[in-house]
Amino acid sequence: MTELSKVAVRKRQPLLLRRFATMTPLIRIASAVLLLIVLAAVLAPLIAPHDPTTPNALDSFGGPSGSHLLGADASGRDLLSRLIYGARLSLAGPAVVVLLMVPVGVLLALLAAWRGGITDGVISRVIDILFAFPGLILAIVAVAMFGAGFWAPVIALTVSYVPVLARVLRSVALKERNLPYVAALQVQGVSAIRIAVRHLIPNLLPMITVQAGVAFGYAMLDLAAISYLGLGLQPPTADWGVMVSEGQSSVIEGFPQESLYAAVMVLVTVVCINLIGGWFAERHDISEADL
Amino acid sequence: MNTTGSVTATTILEVRDLGVRLPTGEGPRQIIDGVDISLAQGEALGLVGESGSGKSTTLRSIVRLLPKGAEIDGRVTLAGADVLTLPDPALRRLRGTEVAVVFQDPRVHINPLRSVGDFLIENLVDVQQRPRREAESTVRDILRSVGISDADRRMRQRPYELSGGLLQRVMIAAALATGPKLILADEPTTALDVTTQEEVMAILDEERRARGLAMLFISHDLDLADAVCDRIAVMKDGTIVEELGAEGLRQHATHDYTRALIAARPTLDPAHTVPAGQPDSSTDEPVLSVRDLRKVYRVRPTTGRAREDFVAVEGISFDLRPGGSLAVVGESGSGKSTTAGMIVGLTRPTGGQVVIGGESYANTRLGAKQRRARGRKVQMVFQDPYSSLDRRQTVRDCLREVLDVHGHVPVAQRDDRVDELIAQVGLTSTHARSLPRHLSGGQRQRVAIARALAADPSVLILDEALSALDVSVQAQVIDLLVRIREETGVALLFISHDLPVVAHISDEVLVMHRGLVVESGPVHEVLREPREDYTRELIDSVPREGWTPRRRSSRLATNQGVS
Repeated sequence: MTELSKVAVRKRQPLLLRRFATMTPLIRIASAVLLLIVLAAVLAPLIAPHDPTTPNALDSFGGPSGSHLLGADASGRDLLSRLIYGARLSLAGPAVVVLLMVPVGVLLALLAAWRGGITDGVISRVIDILFAFPGLILAIVAVAMFGAGFWAPVIALTVSYVPVLARVLRSVALKERNLPYVAALQVQGVSAIRIAVRHLIPNLLPMITVQAGVAFGYAMLDLAAISYLGLGLQPPTADWGVMVSEGQSSVIEGFPQESLYAAVMVLVTVVCINLIGGWFAERHDISEADL
Repeated sequence: MNTTGSVTATTILEVRDLGVRLPTGEGPRQIIDGVDISLAQGEALGLVGESGSGKSTTLRSIVRLLPKGAEIDGRVTLAGADVLTLPDPALRRLRGTEVAVVFQDPRVHINPLRSVGDFLIENLVDVQQRPRREAESTVRDILRSVGISDADRRMRQRPYELSGGLLQRVMIAAALATGPKLILADEPTTALDVTTQEEVMAILDEERRARGLAMLFISHDLDLADAVCDRIAVMKDGTIVEELGAEGLRQHATHDYTRALIAARPTLDPAHTVPAGQPDSSTDEPVLSVRDLRKVYRVRPTTGRAREDFVAVEGISFDLRPGGSLAVVGESGSGKSTTAGMIVGLTRPTGGQVVIGGESYANTRLGAKQRRARGRKVQMVFQDPYSSLDRRQTVRDCLREVLDVHGHVPVAQRDDRVDELIAQVGLTSTHARSLPRHLSGGQRQRVAIARALAADPSVLILDEALSALDVSVQAQVIDLLVRIREETGVALLFISHDLPVVAHISDEVLVMHRGLVVESGPVHEVLREPREDYTRELIDSVPREGWTPRRRSSRLATNQGVS
């Protein structure tokens, strides 16, 4: 959970506090919704009315009521509490993917752009090869090898997203690296590492942020799909993907709420992130073509 | 020319009280304010001014090529049509038949995916509805008249296969092919070498006169405009401040700004150049010594598999004495920037040595400490003031970083040293907190100079450091460099293609051509009495008072046998 809160804080502070004034109304709404979801995840034990995993046969398929605001599922677990707790793992998964992906992608991109020649050739070819593996297939293989759960799909998705990030960043890093100010620093005798840390990465940060946002959205969808297939988190864990999967059988019995609510949560979160990402990219003159 | 009333039969272009506002982040900004232009058939008007004066916007308004959101008022009458109110189809026909534009950079104005021939006939076939065969033969004739003899081969080629000079001729050919009455030329030779500029201007000038076309010629170079135009309009801050006949421009200019422009531009006239600096103290150990420096690039040719060697610099040697000022001049591709890169360690030499302050550098890889030591001795200022500073660093942080990296100034004094450097390059403490985007090109170049000086080098290399600046700014930076050289005793190595500037800043000059030094010596001697033909050609192609561009068909082998 610590990774989750770190990402949340780091991403939100500049976005919400400093830049609130420049946001369009739509972006303000998207940010507010996202903030609510993140808060719900962080404060789940405080705000959830029930334990998300304790079944109560008496409440099975109970409709919305005073004690179950959104009703209960087949085992009589409170849906609202499951949605709130579900936000935790549903956000943590993509957050971990992004946290693992960014350092690796940035490192590969900078190495390729800075060293050029053979280094660039090797990194670029490896990226090309990794591109051939779709994230979902890779995740299924990973689960087959290491067993279902939180980590196998997360690692598999990281591996499949890194090439996308590295390739995009490599091309912008290459442009940046060839600007004369970098040559001026080299003439001063400034070390490559200092140039990378003090100059290249800060200048690439808007692009890195946008890419991380896009990847977060994709990871959320992919992880939900993996959970839905029963390859990720296992019931009775509260997770939106698991809920869509579990609620599936109830749909036929005229009880679509569970799948519906969870799917809507995934949808709303991804849409909010993409809206904010698009707005951020526009502010930093990153064109759609680079995304 | 400012007679009011109806447009006479021979008037091609009539611009009345043109005003343009362009949208910016802080609302619309007035770019053009009350511009009047009148051009008769066969007449050429030069529109001269510095960057941001509105000359290009004026040109673009005439063909309604302004960005979305631009507000235009006034009246533009082109070949009898009211351009600003013309419906789109009629405007397109007007653009395709009555007027043609030659832009500054042909490479970005010609579709790289299509052949040169396709580009040339496009207008004739699509707009003028001429049969393709006929269009091709028209184009072929015109290519020959602009000095491209192997027209058939060129028409099959793609833009990237042609040099900048050839491509600009293609652009001129495209402009002539539609048979317009007016040519709008927007700095058509600014991106070209000075000898190529003369060639291209000669072609444009001759063809225009032969066909009796009117021309609106935009340039920042008063002498160049003077040479090819009948009248000159000087533009500043969106208005025309003065209009003059091209004859006796210098004598008749009355407006302060025009006079300032004329005065700011360095001339080749030796009487105006600086005295030859300090007497040659040849006993001094040179501060920079270059011996047989070579750079060979291995390139993969576009066809075939074997790699070829491209010799960028072919064994050059020279010395720079302490406090001296040496210029390396030559056209693009002559190897002068490669040489600079090898001296500062950005490019590894293939062979030869660079000796800086007694330390010898060959093609070995240096450790971090050695690189810093080298940086203390030799520094460089780059051409593009816009990208040679980190856009996220304030001026203070930028200078402070250099002091921190080298550590040659005690920590307690670093802030003072930064203030000193800022003052030394003529900036004030308010600039210290600025980011590069809040500074003008000249100010940024001053920061770049301060950054180079922060390391207290004994050699300062200026790689085309003044080429991107406006003449008035250029003059100020030249003064600054001369003063800094006197104050600090730093030796200047000035890499440039601009001979008049070189004449003002350097004591000695080295002329490079195709990776070799063809001539060297004291600046005033070389410029006054060049021994080599190539040097003479360079000098002759510099626009100046009373100069006219001439075609030198001998320069391009492909031109031989053509009248």
